[in-house]
Amino acid sequence: MSTGRWWREVGWRHGVGLVAVLFAVVPVAYVVSAAFNPLGTVASTGVIPKHLSLENFAALFDDPARPFARWLLNTLVVCVVVTGVQVFCSALAAYAFSRLRFRGRRGGQLSLLLIQMFPQFLAVIALYSMFTAIGEVVPALGLNTLLGYSLVLLGGSLGQVWLIKGFFDTIPRQLDEAAVVDGAGHATIFFRIILPLARPVLAVTGLLAFVSVIGEFLMASIFLTDTQAKTLAVGLYGIIAADRSNNLGVFAAGALLTALPVVLLFQFLQRYIVGGLTSGSVKD
Amino acid sequence: MKAPSIVATAVIRVLCLGTAVGTAAALTPVLIAGRHYVFLAIVWAVIAVVLATYATARAVPAKYLVPGTLLLILFIVVPVLSTLQLSTTNYGDGTRTTRQETVERILANSVVQVPDSPKFNLSVATTGSPASGPITFFLVDQKSGALYSGTEAGLAPLERSAVTVTDNFVSAATGYTILTPLQVNAAADRLRDFTVPTGNGAIRQRGLHEAYEGRRTLQYDQGTGTITNTVTGVRYTTAREGDREYFVGPDGTRLSDQSWRSDVGLANYRRAFTDQHILSGFTRIFIWNVVFATASVALTFLVGLGLAVTLNDSRVRGQKVYRSVLLLPYAIPGFISILVWSGFYNQDFGLINQITGLHVNWLGSALWAKVALLLTNLWLGFPYMFLVSTGALQAIPSDLREAASIDGAGGFTAFRRITFPLLLVAVTPLLVASFAFNFNNYNVIELLTHGGPFSPGNPDAGATDILISYTVRLAFGGNGAQLGFAAAIATLLFAITAIMAAAQYRITRRLEEMN
Amino acid sequence: MKSTRRQRVPERRGALRGRHGLAGAATVVLFALVACSGGGSDAGGSPDAATPAGSPGASDAPSRQDADLVIWTTEPASRAVTPIAKKFGQENGISVAVQVIASDLAANAITANAAGNGPDIVTLPNDFLGGALQNGAVAPLSLTADDLSAYDEGAVTSVTRNDQVWALPYGTENLVLYRNTDAVAKAPSTVEDLVGTGQAAVGKGKVKRALALPVGQEGDAYHLYAFFSSAGGSLFGKKPDGQYDPEQVGIGDEASVKAAQKIAALGEKGSKVLSRSIDGTNAIAQFTEGKSAYLVSGPWALADIRKSEVSYDITPIPGFQGEAPAAPFLGVQAFWTLSNAKNPAFAEEFVTKTMNTPEAMTAMYDEDPRPPARTDVLKAVSAKDPDMAKLAAGAKNASLLPDFPFMAGVWPALSQAFASIVGGEDPAATMTSAGTAIRSAVTAP
Repeated sequence: MSTGRWWREVGWRHGVGLVAVLFAVVPVAYVVSAAFNPLGTVASTGVIPKHLSLENFAALFDDPARPFARWLLNTLVVCVVVTGVQVFCSALAAYAFSRLRFRGRRGGQLSLLLIQMFPQFLAVIALYSMFTAIGEVVPALGLNTLLGYSLVLLGGSLGQVWLIKGFFDTIPRQLDEAAVVDGAGHATIFFRIILPLARPVLAVTGLLAFVSVIGEFLMASIFLTDTQAKTLAVGLYGIIAADRSNNLGVFAAGALLTALPVVLLFQFLQRYIVGGLTSGSVKD
Repeated sequence: MKAPSIVATAVIRVLCLGTAVGTAAALTPVLIAGRHYVFLAIVWAVIAVVLATYATARAVPAKYLVPGTLLLILFIVVPVLSTLQLSTTNYGDGTRTTRQETVERILANSVVQVPDSPKFNLSVATTGSPASGPITFFLVDQKSGALYSGTEAGLAPLERSAVTVTDNFVSAATGYTILTPLQVNAAADRLRDFTVPTGNGAIRQRGLHEAYEGRRTLQYDQGTGTITNTVTGVRYTTAREGDREYFVGPDGTRLSDQSWRSDVGLANYRRAFTDQHILSGFTRIFIWNVVFATASVALTFLVGLGLAVTLNDSRVRGQKVYRSVLLLPYAIPGFISILVWSGFYNQDFGLINQITGLHVNWLGSALWAKVALLLTNLWLGFPYMFLVSTGALQAIPSDLREAASIDGAGGFTAFRRITFPLLLVAVTPLLVASFAFNFNNYNVIELLTHGGPFSPGNPDAGATDILISYTVRLAFGGNGAQLGFAAAIATLLFAITAIMAAAQYRITRRLEEMN
Repeated sequence: MKSTRRQRVPERRGALRGRHGLAGAATVVLFALVACSGGGSDAGGSPDAATPAGSPGASDAPSRQDADLVIWTTEPASRAVTPIAKKFGQENGISVAVQVIASDLAANAITANAAGNGPDIVTLPNDFLGGALQNGAVAPLSLTADDLSAYDEGAVTSVTRNDQVWALPYGTENLVLYRNTDAVAKAPSTVEDLVGTGQAAVGKGKVKRALALPVGQEGDAYHLYAFFSSAGGSLFGKKPDGQYDPEQVGIGDEASVKAAQKIAALGEKGSKVLSRSIDGTNAIAQFTEGKSAYLVSGPWALADIRKSEVSYDITPIPGFQGEAPAAPFLGVQAFWTLSNAKNPAFAEEFVTKTMNTPEAMTAMYDEDPRPPARTDVLKAVSAKDPDMAKLAAGAKNASLLPDFPFMAGVWPALSQAFASIVGGEDPAATMTSAGTAIRSAVTAP
């Protein structure tokens, strides 16, 4: 391939890609630079790291007033629970909407869409009272508990239904029909045929759910005030809110460690996403 | 393909349903004891739904819809309904208590120490059990060392021989149990009401080890519902101011700023529609709200799709690397990156002006603040669109595209005619959802611009405010929390969002029908 | 006092409150069904999760995770309070929990207290009083003003209302002028002097700017008020008894316009000493990094400044030449007991006995240096730490921080006005419209 043609057909794509990469990376580089900057202040931090020190990371772990390891664990617990339940519930509902015909299907979808538009935050007063009351009966589900907080987020347990339904719609119906002929029931079709095929979209929606839970801040700031019960979002916000100019380094170090699991998760799931949603048995 | 054994399925089903019913049964006595009857009803309603759905082989769609829908109903719909109910009250700062609680609080706060009265070392004792027995105060005058015993009947001198005194405290008495600090603390509710009447007032507990002679200066008259100051003789009657009532003296001064909760009907809605201060900013904010949501979706989608199309080419090497890097903004939790971005916009010290050499006052000018907001939101949102578009592109059967190229359609034409419409069908619901999300994207506004810049004449309505940030400020800023009013505003906002969403749903449906 | 640098962040957590009745414990069941997992995750011994005392069944709840004394406070006060509270717990054989609440402590405390799951004690500045009384959130302490004779008079006044003492003060805070003594040797006697010497230091290349005073895009009424008051401006007039009179709003009157013009002259279209780029997040750092000749801040800046290599001195904020002395606000940090405390006896004992001692107050100073409200302790610590006396001297002309509940609506209006004026808007028009906004906040329901 001549250079000219290469540039016309492929090269420019790298050009565009590099511009996008630059845009995406600069703020991230700033966070990284801040995290490794031993001074930890705003004024001494630039995009290009000038220093390399793990001081901020050490500081994260040795102050009992901000139990970072605990926050990390809390966050992972909430993320795993909420993501798992959300993806599972969404997949169930998506199957109903995609494959089953029933009265009120259209109406159900419309109402679901409408209800999902409601920012849960607007009902926060009611939710707070509700969980105060729940906590009186079942302390493990009240305010300042990870389970209680997870339940609040699970109000959005159908959050991934549209993406999954979209994918289910692309799975050829012949597959289900063949299974029915073989005598399979709806549960078998769902668990044995559709779900395995849907692994890529489950991975993607799982990632989306994970990301939104790990970054959830508004509800967490209200439901988790106890230091030991906090997630990373509220905990880290507390660090930077307390003193922005001096705590930037510690905050950035924490931010970096927060982002790390997501980045890793993405790398881990990339083969599903990149492997192509059309590959495998769907085509056969 | 083998179906799972019928026996195994049945066992799992029985186990799960059994656990559910068992849990509900275990909760029932607790709920009844605590008089949480609404709870109880909800618990059993849920159980009924679950049983009806899973115990039989009928209602197949319900089996798939019930789990998510139940969660949705419990944690979105119920709170919304409860918000609706709240919107007809004046609930908020100053009205968090009932009238009775307010009266009790005002009276309790009126106890003052009788001037020049002695203080006592206190031992709380009882002849019965520490938790419920009748209370006696053993008192040692801190100055004179005189001993007294006090009950609700009154104060009586105490023979030194009847008790053991250690360090000026009665430490033992025959027939009495002296309460430990823990027991005193546990009896707080009873001790709060326990006083030993004296000529000038009554002796009350203070902390763990001390008592003093105090006098309650206010008295409540149940019949007339008024409070009288026993020292000055001033009578305070109930008077209405705005949406709340206070105890007010004859000269109009309030006895206390504390009011109480009451139903106000539709007053909160009336206020939302008639208050000039609120309405003045509304139209401008609504327009910007629509612009902001539309522009955010359009920008992120165009950039995300463009990148997906550009990079989704088998000849482009390092696709994995590109994808990993481009998703970085997405991997960083939003609140972190928004806070970092907000630092970038500082006129003198911010990264953007430093790199570009500009001297733009980003967050100080209405126009630039909007640009800054959209730029940040683009950064936050394009990876999602990139991810979704890439997924959708790859989900389009490649034979369709192959067919198009055999028909002789060039790259762009194939994209416009075949790929794009198919892709649009797949992503339109997500675009709608993204619009709805951005329409109420409180996070980015609050953490980046706070809704600012503001004008000094109206510090409630900023240039980048959207409805939700504006209304949150109206409801919770200003005069403290006005939760009833906030609930009314939330309800209205929900209505607006729902109308916009319904309109978009129609468009989606038309698109779907087209294909 | 950082909290009173009025942030615009709405106190949304004030939003919350328990209202029993609507609920759904049903989810326990649902959770068992969906996730088929028990309650394995522990909430970290959160005291708030437990049942409030007084509700049926509370006394025999199987494992009260609750501590017998729960204190909500801020970093760094927690460092001083924790050992004292632990010792108190050992003496009384009870468990104590000191929790750091990172943001909106006041609103959180009111909300949680109303919902019946609040702490027993909070530490907050004196401007908590108005809102706390409006919500019936605090309990009076049975301390008389006489008991508090060992305390600074202004501090006691700030927590006294309706013949009751509502909190035990521990530290005072007010703005002072920090000066980089390498840049400017002699303390300025007037604002003009400050500007002149500061700019001279910039001219000599010793520093990059004359003054770091937080303004920000949304303004900072708290920090600018000292200059404003010197130039004749006032927020509220005073009643004959010395209390603020909210019916006499001073913003928008002639004196305020004149004062605003003086501030405008220091702003971005004047001598550029004040700038909206300097805000609460970077002002102190500008000074500690040696970039600014002067800093207007309070005792909370001291720790950072001492850590830095800047040699500094502390003097009262000067007034304008030929005008009144600058009158910054005086804030008073204090211990409050809450009205719905689950452990009122321990709470009152802790505040009125354990904290009300020179030893405990000295410990507070040790961990969180600010002038102690107890005069004997202030005297003692000033002997070895002259900064404390200098900080306290800055309060000589101070006026008490207003505590009206409606201040939440007043601060943003005044702050925004100051920011606009610094940014070059017309002082007269800005003051007039801010005055209207403030009056409407004062008279709102």
